[in-house]
Amino acid sequence: MSIHKPSIVVTVFIILLVGLILVMNQEEQVDFNTEIKPILNKHCISCHGGVKKNGGFSVLFEEEAMAVTESGKPAIIPGNPQGSELISRLYEDDPEQKMPYHRPPLTKEEIKKLENWIKQGAKWGKHWAYNPVEKPKFPTNGKTFSKNIDGHFPNQVDAFVFQKLKENNLFPSPEEDKMRLIRRLSLDITGLPPSKELIAKWNNDQISYSDIVDELLSSNAYGENMASWWLDLARYADTKGYERDVSRTMWPYRDWVIRAFNADMPFDQFTIEQLAGDLLPNPSEDQLIATSFHRNTMNNDEGGTEDEEFRVAAVLDRVNTTYEVWQSTTMACVQCHSHPYDPIRHEEYFQSLAYFNNSRDEDTHDEEPKLRMYNTQDKSKIDQLRKWLVEISTDQEEKFYSDFLKFQEPKYHAHLCEDFYNGELIDTKWLGLWHNGSTYLKNINTINSDRLLLNYWADIDGTAMVIRNGGPDGEILSEFTINNTKGRVTRSIPFKPVNQRIDLYITAKNPSAKPQQSTSAIVWFAFIPSLPGNQDKLHDKMQDEFLKILNSSPLSLPIMIENPDYMFRKSYVFERGNWLLPREEVKPKTPEIFNSWNEEWPENRLGFAYWLTSKENPLTARTVVNRIWDQFFGRGLVNSLEDMGSQSDIPSHPELLDYLSWQLMYEYNWSIKSLIKEIVMSYTYRQSSVLTADLHQRDPENRWYARGPRFRLSAEKVRDQALSVTGLLSSKMYGKSVMPPQPEGIWQTVYSGESWVTSEGEDRYRRSIYTFLKRTSPYPSFMSFDASSREVCLSKRIVTNTPLQALVTLNDPVYFEAAKVLGRNMALQEEGDPKVIISKAYEDLMLVPISVTKRESLLNLYQAALNDQEIDNNSFELVADSKLDRSKWAAYTIVANALLNLDEFLTKP
Amino acid sequence: MKGLEKIAEELEKTRLENLTRRHFMLDCVSKVGSLALLPLLGSCGFGNSNETKGLNLSDRDLNPLSPLPPPSIPKAKSVIYLHMAGAPSQLELFDFKPELIKFHNQPCPESLIEGRKFAFIRGVPNLLGPQANFQQHGQSGAWVSDYLPHFSKVVDEVAFLKAVHTDQFNHGPAQLFMQTGSPRLGRPSLGSWVTYGLGTENQNLPGFVVLTSGGKTPDAGKSVWGSGFLPSVYQGVQCRSKGDPVLYLKDPDGVSRDLKKKIISTINEINQEEFERFGDPEILARINQYEMAYRMQIEVPEVMNINDEPEYIHELYGTKPGEEAFSNNCLLARKLVEKGVRFVQLYDWGWDSHGTDHSTALDLGFRNKCTEIDRPIAALILDLKQRGLLEDTLVVWGGEFGRTPMQENREGKTMGYKGRDHHVDAFTMWMAGGGIKNGSSFGQTDDFGFSGIEGRVSVHDIHATILHILGFDHEKFTYDFQGRPFRLTDVEGEIIKEILS
Repeated sequence: MSIHKPSIVVTVFIILLVGLILVMNQEEQVDFNTEIKPILNKHCISCHGGVKKNGGFSVLFEEEAMAVTESGKPAIIPGNPQGSELISRLYEDDPEQKMPYHRPPLTKEEIKKLENWIKQGAKWGKHWAYNPVEKPKFPTNGKTFSKNIDGHFPNQVDAFVFQKLKENNLFPSPEEDKMRLIRRLSLDITGLPPSKELIAKWNNDQISYSDIVDELLSSNAYGENMASWWLDLARYADTKGYERDVSRTMWPYRDWVIRAFNADMPFDQFTIEQLAGDLLPNPSEDQLIATSFHRNTMNNDEGGTEDEEFRVAAVLDRVNTTYEVWQSTTMACVQCHSHPYDPIRHEEYFQSLAYFNNSRDEDTHDEEPKLRMYNTQDKSKIDQLRKWLVEISTDQEEKFYSDFLKFQEPKYHAHLCEDFYNGELIDTKWLGLWHNGSTYLKNINTINSDRLLLNYWADIDGTAMVIRNGGPDGEILSEFTINNTKGRVTRSIPFKPVNQRIDLYITAKNPSAKPQQSTSAIVWFAFIPSLPGNQDKLHDKMQDEFLKILNSSPLSLPIMIENPDYMFRKSYVFERGNWLLPREEVKPKTPEIFNSWNEEWPENRLGFAYWLTSKENPLTARTVVNRIWDQFFGRGLVNSLEDMGSQSDIPSHPELLDYLSWQLMYEYNWSIKSLIKEIVMSYTYRQSSVLTADLHQRDPENRWYARGPRFRLSAEKVRDQALSVTGLLSSKMYGKSVMPPQPEGIWQTVYSGESWVTSEGEDRYRRSIYTFLKRTSPYPSFMSFDASSREVCLSKRIVTNTPLQALVTLNDPVYFEAAKVLGRNMALQEEGDPKVIISKAYEDLMLVPISVTKRESLLNLYQAALNDQEIDNNSFELVADSKLDRSKWAAYTIVANALLNLDEFLTKP
Repeated sequence: MKGLEKIAEELEKTRLENLTRRHFMLDCVSKVGSLALLPLLGSCGFGNSNETKGLNLSDRDLNPLSPLPPPSIPKAKSVIYLHMAGAPSQLELFDFKPELIKFHNQPCPESLIEGRKFAFIRGVPNLLGPQANFQQHGQSGAWVSDYLPHFSKVVDEVAFLKAVHTDQFNHGPAQLFMQTGSPRLGRPSLGSWVTYGLGTENQNLPGFVVLTSGGKTPDAGKSVWGSGFLPSVYQGVQCRSKGDPVLYLKDPDGVSRDLKKKIISTINEINQEEFERFGDPEILARINQYEMAYRMQIEVPEVMNINDEPEYIHELYGTKPGEEAFSNNCLLARKLVEKGVRFVQLYDWGWDSHGTDHSTALDLGFRNKCTEIDRPIAALILDLKQRGLLEDTLVVWGGEFGRTPMQENREGKTMGYKGRDHHVDAFTMWMAGGGIKNGSSFGQTDDFGFSGIEGRVSVHDIHATILHILGFDHEKFTYDFQGRPFRLTDVEGEIIKEILS
């Protein structure tokens, strides 16, 4: 027996040893996306990637990583880490050979991971965000919390959140105080505090939480609030930007956005109409207005600027914005070189650009094409004309004329003129020929067009204009006289069409013009066929009407209109992103890494919009879900809202992101309201936002949502709330932007005679979304609260906390006026006890009862203000026949000023 | 120059004041000084765990402008940047070209302009000789024209860059490029980068102050001092000489300082209670910001008021009290830097000398502009020096591009006045103060002053150099945005070692 004993021990030992060796050898399967790509991005890609390919080696694309490098062999040999230079260079001693070059070395763990990955075959993977959204399974262990949360069965969102809480050893907070919760909900959904009626119903349990959510979502204020978010992405403003930054009419687009949100337009349709509404069959006026989304690009009027340069800048911006808004992709990186981190190639940028490169706009001063939004009278005249055209002509002709009346395209702009003799482009914009002057307008299509529509103005009479084919000796195609117009006109002039593309040679003679004086300023040329039906008795009348309507000045909105075939613009790869260095031509194509193209889609912006909103597209739904989530929680499920590429932050709750994305597309049919409802119905959203020191230490950024969201209100909400609680806020919606009071001397733009004219009446108190936004000089108090100047697309406003904000809410006359109104209401209370009055005012604002200590503080302030000798009585002028006690009013105003500045008031609870 | 003794006297006074100030700082100014607001919080920081509920917070959590040391030892602590918006002509000021006198009014050689674009020049323009007389000045023998007689006397404090080039020939984009490193909107300005990196010394004043003169803001608008993707707390704060020096600084009518103090202490008491209940450190930050706002309300009007400066100082700068003037702004720049402001940016508008009218003629309007800045700039350098501030302050002067050696012929027209078009190939900038090799000059242009032939430096090089002087490696000073690290100098920029001391 004694012989056996040791043998058992030995056997056990051997078994253990073998087991241990087995365990050690059986290393985990390495995942490229989560384990390898981050190492490559961190240590390698800046020298071996989209920007630089040192040693002929790049880890950006699989085929590049596996390809033969300058050393003559591949740096990665799958299955053979020892033979792979990628590994051996990490172990080098020679600093000139050692990688990363002259940078801190990789950790042992990182090297081990790379070795294992190569050993396991160096399998490449696709970044998670480029895989289509799949319906995720519900976690099961998340529900265990539910028993502990009295009465509230968590929804699906909570299942995912609770699972992560459990993993992180965290526990959800209790439910938020009832009244704080409704204030949070209302501020989040409508941007305003809840109405008194809603508060009463909720307080008396006459309405369920779910019904409150529905009621808020169906209020008009919802669309206004959502528009604040969307307009940052759309870089909406009321001016053109750049040096002169003059006003433009864009507000019909802003109103379209508000209406679309209120109508809960499905997000796919919302996308398609904004990107390509003009390309839909028989687009409605609204669908054309929607395309202004991409006319929010800036327009440069500065003298001496090249319109083509800024047209290209606008197109580049459209590409970058589209990818940021719908794909959380930093496409701007690819403008100059392949993406530094994500597998998108340099030429793919310009293939995307090709979709956007064929719109009619050309950075002209007038920002044509514009949708002419006629009044009802003119609309009915147009209807008559159309009816008549249908009777006497073809549908095609009817469409041509009604389109021309709608947006006056196609036309040639004066900036295309070249080879001036005794002539110039006035302020690099309009054609000005002097006496005996000439110019060329080249490569022009006049086929079948026997009328020239000329848009111009002239200050002198008697200029003889001649247009010839080809040059000074060419056939005369048109001859006419230009006289003083007293303003801009569009004139129809007989023209002899030529059946091929031609160069027009244009001359002007007017001996009465002073030397170097322009005889006229020509804005554009359009060549159209004359109105058909010249035998018809109505023809002349219709011709007249046509011109009259063309010469009217309706409200006009810049929109997108596609080039006709003969104006097609080719697209090229720009070397290093420089438009002056066009290289090989490219055709429209979407990047390979994303979803594939459906052959049925047209190869234009419309097809591109279909591609974006295809359920196969991996990023559109994830992007919108992430950003809507951020609106409620103050951080995205992927915290880098602008980027979901491989360099983006790791998603905190990837399954939740996919679940909501799936729901949005497949269950809610892209309804944003449904998405929001699911989010705010969750227990996660309804938690108390109290932060304990322990929780702060373990999750300072509330990444795991063990508490409710609490953060400072946006610029718009800060102002709207102050106006709302004091009853000043106007409920008027839509229309021209307004100018509430701002300090003197803010607008000082070069060359612009425009000024800030403070609005009168209720327009002083409109919601902030209607405030005029001048890009080079935005409304100053909004800027203090981190609003965007809307020059470029902005996915996330950084929330700051500065003394300048305190100065706004303490001293800005807008806020002090609000305080005075509130103070007046307090002073007019029947109740005489300031304690009661102060308590009530506090509760009206915060919706919760005041604590004794807070009340004492405010009461002290009230007494101090009452005893203050300096309060200027003039600013508290007595209203006739009022019981108002002036000194009380002043003192309560000071209390109100403090109330409107409390952190709890400026913060969503 | 008159009044050196008085300057010395003034200097001693300032030194004493600073000493006193430092004592205040040590004792925690808001408790000891007249500004005491709250017993519960002070400017000493929030280290006390009773006040912060044991949260582990950095100074920057509570105050994003709290000072930080740069990564390496700086040569200067603050910057005064004088930007002449519209782009002054180097050929009338610093870049003396005798050959241009010889070829005055001759057609420009086609080889120079072939295939090139100008903003307004069309066809073949004529060369235009310098419209000013040049002389060498100081020990360094720097050429300066008679348009700048006062500045000529301080050339030995200055390092010239004679061959700066840019790639933007329109004002808006070129100003953005010069101030943000990119001609497109959306990038943080130089001042924002610096304030982000270094914070600021004086918490009662903004860290990045902008002063404008010439009646207009720069062509590119307020984005030239915008914070781009950096938090907005780092954007330039425009201090104005009319109206509130800082927007909304003035108390509402009838609200006395005492009452304002009471209002803010009430707000902060309640906020402190709120913090104790909700534990959100943002509330502590807000308490801090309200205190700062109160202190700014006192200190900003004080520093922006030049009336109390002694007479000889007014004389030195040639101030115009009560007006929006470049001279006032130069004096303010000195006062601000003295008070611990990190970055002071001046814009003077009206330098776009095309020769389209009297005001843009090189020998008329332009000359007047030069007279307006000449004395104040010389005064600024002297004043900073006499106070011992120049060694810690970097002064930068320049426009957004230069002017053509050719006379402008707008759209081919003959012009009534002498003017020059925008020019990107070569122009002059200068720097002075901390870290700068004074009395030096780097770079040289060809005989017509058209292009740099030696020591060409780019806008990115200027930025790299400024950051270097402040203690930053411009390649490592980054901010993550849109999924990648951004730099002021993008992927370019080399330090101009030749002008460093």
